Amino acid sequence: MNVILQSTYYTLYQATNERCFYIDFGQKKIRMPFCQLLSLRHKVMSIDIEDHFDSDLNTHGFEVLTLCNKEHLFILNTLEVLDLKNLVEYGFMAIGLSSKTEALNL
Amino acid sequence: MKDIARQSMSIKVESMDMLNAQIKMEAHASALYLAMASWCEQNGFFTSAKFFYKQTEEEREHMMKIFNFLIDTGGNPISPEVTNINHDYSSIVDVFESTLEHEIKVTKSIHNIVKKARELGDITAERFLDWFVMEQVEEENTIRDILDMIEVTGTEGVGLQMIDNQVAEWID
Repeated sequence: MNVILQSTYYTLYQATNERCFYIDFGQKKIRMPFCQLLSLRHKVMSIDIEDHFDSDLNTHGFEVLTLCNKEHLFILNTLEVLDLKNLVEYGFMAIGLSSKTEALNL
Repeated sequence: MKDIARQSMSIKVESMDMLNAQIKMEAHASALYLAMASWCEQNGFFTSAKFFYKQTEEEREHMMKIFNFLIDTGGNPISPEVTNINHDYSSIVDVFESTLEHEIKVTKSIHNIVKKARELGDITAERFLDWFVMEQVEEENTIRDILDMIEVTGTEGVGLQMIDNQVAEWID
């Protein structure tokens, strides 16, 4: 497996032989076909981080994230969500499906 | 290292995000035109109602065209949530003026995606949108023609009935 990107809490790998990706979440490493990686991107980028700083909108500052058709469930705190957003954003740049300048402007 | 990501998807993710936003906009337009059809039915503009039933179907076809494009390119199309549909109009003129305003918004949105796709060097997404650019010319022109007809006919006396009858000319 080749490391594509490592962030503070997570690592994105490409497993060329299996034609898929892996993300190491610390507690466990999850296998992701490309469509699941796209699904993860959508879920993570849809999280409104501003809500974490408003106790009415997000009382405890946690996000529940289900992955791979609800096969996995994670509870992430604000720092972990921010780090996962970075991993997804720069990970897609690294695999060549996102424009560098565009992603940096986000 | 093999480029598995590129083998799986043939457009940029930024283009996919913008096209998903456009899917939502087309779904909103479809719902909006259905609300207009409802208003027309309730206020006695039965031919105009037929026109808006046709429009609502067309907008859904546009939405599905983008949805299927994202499927074909290996993307992740998102089924849109549609909220805040206006059902209140002060007159049939208000209905058609609101339609033109909405079509202009859609045109601007499509032009914006074309420009961004060009910046990203995403030729596939840019070329796909050619059809939508020309379709919007037709959509705007249809509504402008109806508004011109309304102006010429006038809304006094039997004018409103004549307007509704003449809308039939724009139903294929």
